[in-house]
Amino acid sequence: MSTSLSGPEPAMQAPGREPVRSGLPRTSRTARNHAPITATGLVVKVVLLGLVAGIAIWVAFPLIEAKMWVGLAILLATTAGLFYLYLTPRHIPVKYLVPGTLLLIAFQVFPVLYTASTAFTNFADGHRGSKDDAVVAIQSSSVKQVAGSAEYALSIATKGDPTSGPLVFLVTDPKTRAVSAGDGEGLRPLDAGSVSVAPGGKVTAADGYTVLNFGQASVRSKEIIDLVVPTPGGALRSNGLSRAYEGRAIRAYDTGCDCIKDSETGKTWTADEADGSFVAADGERLTQGWKVNVGLQNFSRVLTDPNISGPFFGTLVWNFAFAIGSTGLTFLLGMAIALALHSPRMRGTNLYRVLLILPYAMPSFAMLLVWRDMFNTDFGLVNNLFGLGVDWFGEAWSARIAVLLVQLWLGYPYMFLVATGALQAIPRELTEATSVDGASPWASFKAVTLPLLLVALSPLLIASFAYNFNNINAIWLTTEGGPFPADNPTNGATDLLITYTYRLAFGAQGAQFGMAAAISIFIFAIVATVSAISFRRTRKQEEVYS
Amino acid sequence: MRIRTAGVVAVLGLALAASGCGGSSNDKPAAKESAKAATGGKLVIWADDKRTAALKPFAEQFGKENGVTVEVQAVSKDLQTNFVTASQQGSGPDVVVGAHDWIGNLVQNGAIDPVQLAAEQKSAFNETAIKAVTFNGQLYGVPYATENIALIRNTELAPEAPKTIEDLVATGKKLKADKKASEILCLQSGQNGDAYHVYPLYTSGGGYLFGTTANGDYDPKDLGVGKPESIAAFQKIAKLGEKGEGALKRSITGENSIATFTGKKCAFLVSGPWAIADAKKANITYDISPVPGFAGGKEAQPFVGVQAFYVAAKGKNKALAQEFVTNYVTKPELAVALYKAEPRPPALTAAFDQVKGTDPDLAKFSEAGKNGQVLPAIPAMAAIWDPFGKAEAAIIGGADPAKTITGAGKTIAGQIK
Amino acid sequence: MTTYADAPVANRNATGRRRNRWFAQVGWRHLVGVLAVVFSLFPILFVLSAALNPLGTLSSTELLPTGASFENFTNLFEKTAFAHWFVNSLLIAGTAAIVSIFLSSLAAYAFSRMRFAGRRFGLLTLLLIQMFPQFLAIVAIFLIFTTVTDLWPSIGFNTPWGLFLLYMGGALGVNTWLMKGFFDTLPRELDESATMDGATHAQVFFRIMLPLVAPILAVTALLSFIGTINEFMIANVFLTNTNSKTLAVGMFGLVAGERNNNFGMFAAGTLLTAIPTVLVFQLLQRYIVSGLTAGAVKG
Repeated sequence: MSTSLSGPEPAMQAPGREPVRSGLPRTSRTARNHAPITATGLVVKVVLLGLVAGIAIWVAFPLIEAKMWVGLAILLATTAGLFYLYLTPRHIPVKYLVPGTLLLIAFQVFPVLYTASTAFTNFADGHRGSKDDAVVAIQSSSVKQVAGSAEYALSIATKGDPTSGPLVFLVTDPKTRAVSAGDGEGLRPLDAGSVSVAPGGKVTAADGYTVLNFGQASVRSKEIIDLVVPTPGGALRSNGLSRAYEGRAIRAYDTGCDCIKDSETGKTWTADEADGSFVAADGERLTQGWKVNVGLQNFSRVLTDPNISGPFFGTLVWNFAFAIGSTGLTFLLGMAIALALHSPRMRGTNLYRVLLILPYAMPSFAMLLVWRDMFNTDFGLVNNLFGLGVDWFGEAWSARIAVLLVQLWLGYPYMFLVATGALQAIPRELTEATSVDGASPWASFKAVTLPLLLVALSPLLIASFAYNFNNINAIWLTTEGGPFPADNPTNGATDLLITYTYRLAFGAQGAQFGMAAAISIFIFAIVATVSAISFRRTRKQEEVYS
Repeated sequence: MRIRTAGVVAVLGLALAASGCGGSSNDKPAAKESAKAATGGKLVIWADDKRTAALKPFAEQFGKENGVTVEVQAVSKDLQTNFVTASQQGSGPDVVVGAHDWIGNLVQNGAIDPVQLAAEQKSAFNETAIKAVTFNGQLYGVPYATENIALIRNTELAPEAPKTIEDLVATGKKLKADKKASEILCLQSGQNGDAYHVYPLYTSGGGYLFGTTANGDYDPKDLGVGKPESIAAFQKIAKLGEKGEGALKRSITGENSIATFTGKKCAFLVSGPWAIADAKKANITYDISPVPGFAGGKEAQPFVGVQAFYVAAKGKNKALAQEFVTNYVTKPELAVALYKAEPRPPALTAAFDQVKGTDPDLAKFSEAGKNGQVLPAIPAMAAIWDPFGKAEAAIIGGADPAKTITGAGKTIAGQIK
Repeated sequence: MTTYADAPVANRNATGRRRNRWFAQVGWRHLVGVLAVVFSLFPILFVLSAALNPLGTLSSTELLPTGASFENFTNLFEKTAFAHWFVNSLLIAGTAAIVSIFLSSLAAYAFSRMRFAGRRFGLLTLLLIQMFPQFLAIVAIFLIFTTVTDLWPSIGFNTPWGLFLLYMGGALGVNTWLMKGFFDTLPRELDESATMDGATHAQVFFRIMLPLVAPILAVTALLSFIGTINEFMIANVFLTNTNSKTLAVGMFGLVAGERNNNFGMFAAGTLLTAIPTVLVFQLLQRYIVSGLTAGAVKG
């Protein structure tokens, strides 16, 4: 396909197209011609690499301070790699790909890999942290005030510097008004004459101690929480900054039996490492569990649980229909309008374009909610305007049509814009040439415009398909997957795999991340296969010019 | 050429790097110092948007009084999930504000700590509120407001409070026939149902969600959904549905139910204290009464929910958080002020008595909730909402109650471990 | 509807049918345009009517405003940090749009013009990464940014820079695909001849390719701007400070929860949000249309 070029760069038409060895384009002549540009290039390169070094050093200090040597090593390797890459004449494609790819790895690839790895665990509400976390949670949630013990007024004090000296609790017994000082060793009574006590019981000053005010005490929160003053009945603990109580952890972890013991009832719960819970002999589980590897259990559940695998196929078919429908309809409508407005004789195209992109400019979640209300059976505009009584979201097919219509409204401005941009990029001479040859507009469109549009847009159509395949908001904010068959509230007529997953993962007893990740991997595998196949087909179009 | 480039790059890079490092090492400690000097510790509170706005002035006052910084931050969506995730990773807040039915999930994730209230502090709260925040025998939060739904009626259209739901339907139908209203009852359902709002009718029909154990806690092993009682209850509800009286409709949703009532298109609205502001704004003359039950049925019991403050287990400033929650939130002045920002019955008896005189609606709402059921806080409750609501919507739309509710019961049972 | 008829037509001598010809050439285009505008605008009319209704409820039967009050607009500025959100959004979306089209045009150039091992695999990977559900990745984002906030607070939670970096992680995603498609339509001879003339790959890219794809750069920038302004899921967990929020997060808060009656304010905010987008579009329209005028002059 030969074209008459109308490019804006006269530089391109420079004479003397002598063949040059590829890879080493700098012959002495051209090097001189482009000398000033190379200098600019050099300056830019120096400044950018300097910036990289500066950022690297800024990033390095906190890493060194925190003694995170692995992080530092990665940083050094990355920086060195960048310097090498931009100083060597080789690896040209990598130079262009690296800036975006680094960010991609940090903020997309890593999260995806992390998420995928949770598919092999029981990661869920109640099984989020480590075993130590669970033990701490069990113990601290079992702390009870010792029956009949007093509520003390508390002041935080120190013998040393208010910001760093070891802390002491000054507590006042509410009945006797006797003041004692407590630290990790225990309680020592203080001489009543050496302290002054406020009416509420709080010690305001004590000889030999500096009483910390709220502001000073609040920055040492962790030390205050950790300070436990042993007493005969249990231990004195702070409750905020102005009260203390005598409390006792009823449940404690015993390393010997790897179990939790309840000192009141004598019941024990033994750790079950396969399940990540403490289980009693009678089968009772403590609610606080921990995350453990469960191998392929989540995957096998997806395949064997009839609740999950049963409606999978039907949902998959609709999911494809939805993604293809959303992409196809928006593309057709967007392209049609772009073509209609693409004419040198059209006046007011600017105004049309502004008005047409408005649906895309409005926050989509807001407009989804508006559309949901417009499809309301009794109050909705759609029924009122056309005098219909359709129960839009109550019947499977009308609900499907409705969500596609909403998708069309939301998405076609995007396709319109892209198609407009694509049409502008097609050299006008091409279409005019065919018209002059006497081809009908339709033939001219089919022969010239459409193929070029498809070259430009087919990668985008695949991307749009992929996006809509997982378009959770489009469904969740309109039908929520409904309507549902009366006897099965887990899978509705407009459910996509993603909304279905979302419901399974978060609708049940708390969030089940491991399970959701496993289903996601299945979905991912399906979409990846489909995309890879359709991507293969684009190879031909890609090579139109080469 | 190539070597020269490398040389220049290296030199300039070092120079830039040096200046960059100089800059960062100079200003960083300075920033830290000034932050320390300006404040004591920092207390971070997470709440939803409405409560954030109400809380902000009081939290800031607490900060000022005590020489600490208090930040109230709003998490608009998925506050509970995000709180659990953030706190597990260590970037969560010190205090979180939320409904009491979160407690079960927060405890199983070790996200909150029990709070210790002195006996006299505890007794200052109304009993239901304390019961709601008690879980496994421990107190996990400090309540500040209770809430429940009631029947709000437009007294211009319906001067008398209906005694039974049948009375209500008769009045509503008459208004509809007279073209004074277009709907019999505004009870929100939507396409996927609303378990919270239909619950009084469900209990009046004899249904229950969970049985109770000997000590009064809800028992997840005794699931009432799918039992014969629940089928009987939904058979009664079905009679009010689209194929029956037409009093319950899926087209009435959370978005339009209050608007339809304030637009004088229905005389009866089932909603909570949050609907009152709109009714006042629209100049509706209204009255509040308990949600009526079926004639000859059991009492209609709404859910009673409690809003509470929780101390995060992994907060950075737990001592300050405990101080705020146990000693500041328990003051009646704060409860009154929060009430003024957002009118819900305060959980502190003293505060409730103080505002009762100026606000007759308050007493009426709390009367309507007197026989209500505390919303179950056990984690199993999370499995109820969605299937229960969908079953409700399907039955209102005309599906067979027995088949539908049995299916919902099966789904719920399958999700409860 | 999809006929393509902008070319000079052969019936120049048919003077008697001027009106028909006008319709055949231009008129029908206006008809399509007007229909499309009606389709586009009528749901937005609702939003307008809710924004002007002092009760601020969304009542679907009332398409036309029932009241004309600017109370919702004034409330928005007085009762919320709307001005902050607005500025934050413009800053983040503006920067993100510029940087992301730069990053993705670099990558698109490499993918379109160079042939290297793993090229198609890389393209496919870019696409597939986008398909992993984001609501699951939130846990990992907390994991990353908790560490980042501890080490470098200035790019941690509640900072625009942290959010910006996070968005840039996705810059390569869809935009690269979009731009690669456009680079593919540019004839190979262009850069080949420039290379023969001794231009380096960087010169070919900056001086030849970029100016030629200016329309699509403008479109991509606009799409990226809109995408960033509307992004909610990540910004919601990332920004909790009232003053550091973006429009999408702040405004969602106005209608969040089933018990909210701020729809009027929300609607008002929605309308205001559309303003910068329209302005940016106006600004970029020149570049989008430039190809058209150039062609017209020549034809």
